[in-house]
Parts: sequence; structure tokens; C-alpha cells
Amino acid sequence: MSRLGAVPLLLLWALPLLLALAMLLPAALDGAAWRMALAHPQLWPALAISLGAGTVAALIATMLSLVLIAGFYNSRTWHGLQALAAAGLAVPHLAFAIGFGFLVMPSGLLARLLVGGEAPPRWVTVQDPWGIALTLALALKESPFLLCAGFAVLSRGDKAGRIRAETRAAASLGHAPGSAFLRVVLPPLLRELRWPLAIVFVYGATVVDMALVLGPTQPPTLATIIWRALNDEDPATNAMGIAMTLLLTMALTAALGGVALLLRAARRGLRGLLTAGPSPLRSPRVLATALGILALAVLTLAILVLVILSLSPRWPYPAVLPPAASIAAWMNMTLAPLWLSLALSFAVAAAAVALAVLWFETQPPARDRWVIGIALLALALPQLATAGGQYRLFLPLGLTGALFGLFLAHLTPVAAYVLIVLAGPYRAFDRRYVAAARALSAPPLTAWLRVKLPLLKAPLSTAAAIGFAVAVAQYVPAQLIAAGRWSTLPMEAVTLSSGGNRPLTAAFALVLAAPPLFAFLAAALLGRPRWR
Amino acid sequence: MTLTRRGFASLVAMAPFLPPASAEEGWAAIEKQAKGQTVHFNAWGGSPQVNDYIAWAGAELRKRHGITLEHVKLTDTAEAVRRVRDEVKAGKDGSADLIWINGQNFHVMKEEQLLHGPFTEDLPNFALVDTDGKPTTLVDFAEGTEGFESPWGMAQLTFFADGARLAAPPMSMMELLDLARDEPGRITYPAPPDFHGTTFVKQALAETMADRAQLPLAIGKAEFIEASKPLFDYLDRLHPHLWRDGKQFPQSQAQVTQMLADGELLMGLTFNPNEAANLVENGTLPKTAISWQNRGGSIGNTHFVAIPINSRSRAAAQVVANFLLSPEAQSRKANLRIWGDPTVLDLDKLTPADRALFADGDAPGAVKAPARAIPEPHGSWAPLIEAAWLERYGA
Repeated sequence: MSRLGAVPLLLLWALPLLLALAMLLPAALDGAAWRMALAHPQLWPALAISLGAGTVAALIATMLSLVLIAGFYNSRTWHGLQALAAAGLAVPHLAFAIGFGFLVMPSGLLARLLVGGEAPPRWVTVQDPWGIALTLALALKESPFLLCAGFAVLSRGDKAGRIRAETRAAASLGHAPGSAFLRVVLPPLLRELRWPLAIVFVYGATVVDMALVLGPTQPPTLATIIWRALNDEDPATNAMGIAMTLLLTMALTAALGGVALLLRAARRGLRGLLTAGPSPLRSPRVLATALGILALAVLTLAILVLVILSLSPRWPYPAVLPPAASIAAWMNMTLAPLWLSLALSFAVAAAAVALAVLWFETQPPARDRWVIGIALLALALPQLATAGGQYRLFLPLGLTGALFGLFLAHLTPVAAYVLIVLAGPYRAFDRRYVAAARALSAPPLTAWLRVKLPLLKAPLSTAAAIGFAVAVAQYVPAQLIAAGRWSTLPMEAVTLSSGGNRPLTAAFALVLAAPPLFAFLAAALLGRPRWR
Repeated sequence: MTLTRRGFASLVAMAPFLPPASAEEGWAAIEKQAKGQTVHFNAWGGSPQVNDYIAWAGAELRKRHGITLEHVKLTDTAEAVRRVRDEVKAGKDGSADLIWINGQNFHVMKEEQLLHGPFTEDLPNFALVDTDGKPTTLVDFAEGTEGFESPWGMAQLTFFADGARLAAPPMSMMELLDLARDEPGRITYPAPPDFHGTTFVKQALAETMADRAQLPLAIGKAEFIEASKPLFDYLDRLHPHLWRDGKQFPQSQAQVTQMLADGELLMGLTFNPNEAANLVENGTLPKTAISWQNRGGSIGNTHFVAIPINSRSRAAAQVVANFLLSPEAQSRKANLRIWGDPTVLDLDKLTPADRALFADGDAPGAVKAPARAIPEPHGSWAPLIEAAWLERYGA
């Protein structure tokens, strides 16, 4: 039983991914491809920009999320923050990049309000050579993900009560709220958030769509160069893209390994800090409020701008409002791809959570590092490579153009996210609750359903909502595996957006944000503890 | 026309089904075979106008020929090339029956023997194509089509701007340099290897090089360095006056267009001579928009449709290709209010009634004085141009 519990996850998720990667091996081992990659004049500066943007964005996102959590933990604003994070998480990356870009670019809203004049100022606020705009947008867009993952940890039924009790105990020992948070809440939180943190870094270093809108161009990020190479019609250029992919993956692995070693080395020093006596450190309420309002303002403005952009074919500088409105862009929406996307995403998210739970219930924690490693790989590698490999793998099996093939291709990134979000909270579950139920002679399944499931509903519903949102947003695997036989919402959206028509792109971005938004709000409601 | 080895092989393979006595009978047989087939037309899906046009063609084809046309919307044609390559390697039936294609994608597919053909000579409407006046209908980026792709529409490098902001457009690359000096930071072009960016550089090459007769010929690296000296002298002089001092470049033509519409740039570039008219029509550009082609001519080419070798609906795909060449379909496509893609047909070969279909009034934003087309350089130029550009300006 215990061994067999791993089979569904490995068979439906790990195997299709690893075999697909094996299809790429010939290109990865191709000497000519490596020579071409290493001779690319932009390789090293592009790699530096990718790693820099990923690192700095992850650091800023972490600090921002932690300050917000510390400032609002156990306060009345806590649930408001949860809803805000859910909304932020639901907005597609590309949509946020376009909205954010239109705020800060030389012909954007800020310049119109603050500078004016005949022609836009010659600001370098987007596509700057250092990747600052990209990094800031990434940090803002990734914070909601970290916040949601943090809520999943802190709202867990078995843990919320204990943390409250420990916080109270710390207070009675003379710790001010900030000091108590630092020493009681933060350590388990960070431990359970380590994989989500890793994925924020990996995502930032490999993102393409945001980089195309906001990132530097000469040189661009390495992920952009790889994306172009993999998109090329020439097999030799494709192979160069695979070689560069391998290089980027090695660099990411080395960076993550380096951070792990640093943390290990710093552990002794941290322990001293954590066990230090009471301090009058207050909770950063003011800073959190200021940052929260700023983040909320940027997010709201970006969405608002998207709504206006979707309705205005033309909005020339320096007009503060567009000269005319048109609903032409919205008239391109068709419903058939929406239904397929909703049904498919629901099925994939449900399956991913079920497979993950089955894994965690039947496998020893020591094995997690393997599936988490595969999950990180699934998310770090460009989808043109993984889904391209899957296309070749599925082709002889008759899975291309088939719904089951589409399901498997979507499961690859979705299960990866679900595993990464769920691993921390699920493994940290206090087993004594189940043990107590079993001692009261509840059969295993009853104990799980009646005790563990309700206590874990916050992380489970968050993971399911994230899985659903990830599934709804998939373009590359859908386009490749569907082989023109099926059409999902992002396929419609991305192909239409490739013409660069801004109202169309904005309208589709808003439509793509809607299903995940409902999923996150549902998760926030479902995950709220009943016994409070 | 030269008979390729594969063309010959397919003739031999078809020998048991001896070709019918006349071309008309042969075409009638193809039309009969096509009835009830589904054609998956893999075509870029980034323009609502184009998508609507293809939907119209689908409705007509169902009515007239009992063919179902499914538009498989792509962001990049190379995707279909890779898909067909994988399918053929795996010995599988094709998921694509017709591909909107030209240039490098066509070369690769033809070279790798991924295309069905030659088939264009069998299409009754192919006789109407202006193969003399528009030589690029037979020569795709300096490579003969040899009947493996059927022309669909014409393209030519065209610049556009808001006439209210730019009264005297630069009619040559040298005038562009003067304009950039006068308006620093307001001119740019997409970074190669973006297709439009590479074309801009090709245009500069054609206007600066000593002997333009070299362009249709294959070129090696050493000769290229010599031939491209004036080009890079020109770009070295131009770049300091461009947007972001020529250190950063936009990623795509669409981005340039958007920056023009927002007022950050002074001019945009396109391959569709009617794009600015289209953009006026959908409200992106004001009615004061103007378009022009450089006085001495500009880089031009043709786009085509081709049939993958593993298509199961080859007969229907040929009927679709033929329908797309009909005066009715071509005139509708050329209509500025529908798509505005110039026709490949020779209007003199049409009946007066068919010719009247093309009578299209002047529209704001359209090119007033078309220049002659400079055929695309031989395929060996583009990779050298892109590599040299990247080396000099990429980092």
C-alpha cells in the first residue's frame, strides 16, 4: 500500500516529464549546439541579468510579504490582506506587466500626470538596461504568491492555535509583539516556505512574457534568448536553445545550492538571535500599512489601466484620458474556449491535489526532495522545451490532439506548483491529532476525513486554487499538445495578442484573470477556520 | 520549370492512377475528392481582421465545395514547421493540411522534403497570378517556389507616421538619418533577428551598398564583411540619434507601432502597405496617418500557402488554395475595410466584371505613391546580417 501510493504521481506526472526531457538529450549533448551557445555574444551578460532579476525580485518579494504578514498577523486587517493577496495572485503575469508598464513608461500615466508637454519625456523607466522595471514588477507580482503560501501555513487548523498560544506565552515572558513574531512565528513559517521561495527565484530568472514587455533588450534576459531560439524553424538553433536551457538550469541549481549552504553556515548565528531574551521590538504595523497601501495602489491602478486600455484603441500622449471609447476588443471574446479551459483546469487541479495528498500520505518525508526536485525542474525549464519534448513523446502514443494528452501536459506544471505549495504545511502537520483520533478507535480513513482534512483545508484549498490558476494560464503546452484540435482560453488570448493590439491584449488579460480570482476567493472562504 | 527529384518520384508513384486526359477533368476529380474533407489551416492568428477573413473563406468553402476549414491560430509559423517535422519523423498523419508560410520557414520545409507538391500549376486560378509583374510570386526570398507553395498576398516594407507630427517623411535611408539628427530619440527599429528589424537593416543594406546585383546571390562570410561595410558605417552614424541612443531597441514591430500611437516615436514600419490604413480604420492611429515607401524602392516579398506532405486532406487543401486565388477572395482580401492585403493577381488577366471587384477607393493612411519592390536578398544574407548586428550592437 505505502509503496504503491507513489505510483499515480510518478506515472501520470513524473514519467511524462522525465521521458520528455530525455527526448531533449541528443540536443543537450550536441557539441555544435554548445559551441553555438557559447559563441553567442549575449550569453554571459544575459545570464547575469536573468540571475540578478530573479535574485533581487525574490529578496524584495520576501521582505515585502514578511513585513505585511508581521504587521497584520492576528489583526482585524488579516482577512482583508488575504483577499488582496488572492486578487493579486489571480492577475496574469503578462496583464500585470502591461498595466505596470503603462503606469511608469515615458508615455505612461505617471508622465502624463506629472510631466505633460508635447512629447513624452525621455525616461528610461521600462526596458532599462539593468532590468530594474522587470525586477520591481516581478517582486510586486510574486508577493501575493508568497503571501498566499504564508496564509496556508499560518491558517492551518493544527498550527494556528499553537502559534497563538506560543505567542501569548512569549508575551507573558516580556516579548513585544514584533519580538514574539520574530521568534515564534517566523522560524516555522520560513521553514515551510522554503520551496515557494525557491520557485519565486526560479520563476523570476526564467520568465519570458514579462521580460518581453518590461525587460532589457540589448542584451535581453537569457530566458528571452532561449525562447526565441526554441521558437526558431531551424533545428540547429533549437538545439542551441536546449544547450542554453541546460546552462541556465545549472546556474539556477548552483545558486539555490549556494543559498542552502549559506543558510546552513548562518544557522548558529541565527539560533543565537532566535533564542535571545525578550526585546521591545514592536510589530511593523506602520511600515506594513504603508507598504500594503502602496502595493494595493499599484495593483489597483494597473488593473484600472488595463480596463481603460481594453476600451481605448488610441490614447496618445499627453491626454490623461483616452479621446474615445470602443468595445471592439471585447467583441472578439468567444465562449467555447472558456468552457474547455474551466473544465480542464478544474479536473487538472483536482487531480494534482489528489495525487499530491496520496504521495504525502504514503511516502516517507525523506523522499519529498526527489519530487520537489522534479517539480522545480518542471517549472525552471522553458515550456517550449518540456512541452516540445512531451509533444514528441505523445505523438507515437496518439496523445497529441487528444484530451487526455492535454490533461497530462497541463498536469506537468500544475502538480509541480501544488507539490511545492503543499509540501511544507502538509509535512509539518501535527500527527498527534490523527493519533488521538485513531486512539479513539476511528478507522484510518475516518480519522483522515474527519480530523486531518478539516485541519488542513486552508493549505489544501490554497494549493487547489493555485493549481487551478496555473492550469487556466497555460499557453505553450496547450498550443503544442492540442495540435490545432482543441482551443483553450489562453490559446485564443495569446494568438490574438501576438498581433500587438493593446486593447485586445488588455481585454483578454482581464478575462484570464477572472476564473482564478473566483478560485482564490473560494479558497479564502473555504480555508477560513470555522472554530474561531 | 525544373522537376525536382521528389517531384519526379511522386509522379512515378501516381502512375497507376494515370492522370486524366485534360487539366479540367483532373481538377474536377480533385474537387470531387475534396468534398467532405476537413482542412486544418495553420495560420498566424494575431489579427482579428485576418481571422474574420479566414472565417469568411471557411463559410464560402463549405457552401461551394463541402469543405470544412478549421483555422488553427498560431503565434509563430515555425511552430507548425516543427510540428510537421516531428510528425513526419514519427511517421504520423499530419495535424496541418495547409500552412500560411514564406521565407525561411518555406526553405526549411522544402529542403527537408516536408511539403506536398508541386501542385500550383494544377490550380486553375494560378493562371491569373501576375508572375511577370510580381516575380516574388515565384521566387520566395531568392529561392524558386517550384510549385510547392501557392501565392496568397503581397508585402512590401512600408513606413508610416502621423502626418500631423511628421509633415515631410524621409523618403530614403539618408533622409532618415537627417530626420533622426533633428529629432533625437524619436526614431528606432526592432532589434534583429526580429523579422521587421532584419528587414529594416536589409533596406539600409540595399540603399548603401555599392552593387545591389549581389543581393540575389549566395554570399559567404568574407564577401559579406566587404559588402556590408557601407551598411555598418551607416548604422554607426544612425544609432546615436535613435531611441535610447541606439543602445536599447524595441522587441517587435508591434511595440514600435504602439510607441508611435502613444506618441513616443515618430514613425513605424510594416510589411503590409495598407497597415496604417487598417490602423486608422480600427482607431489605433488618427485619420492624419500617412504611409510611404522609400523613393528608390523597398524590400518586398510574397506570402504563400503550402501543403504539408503528411496531410490527409491534400485534395481539399488544393481546392482551398485555389479558392484563395479567386478574384472574389483576392479582392475581398485587398479591401481596406476587410484586411487590406494586396493581391497577387494580374488585374489585366481578369474579366472586366472581376476587375471591377478591385476598385477600392482611397483611404486615409494608405500609400499614395507606391515604389517598386526590391526582391528579398538570397537566404544566406539574413543569418550573416543578424550575426553581425548582434556582434556589434547586441551587448
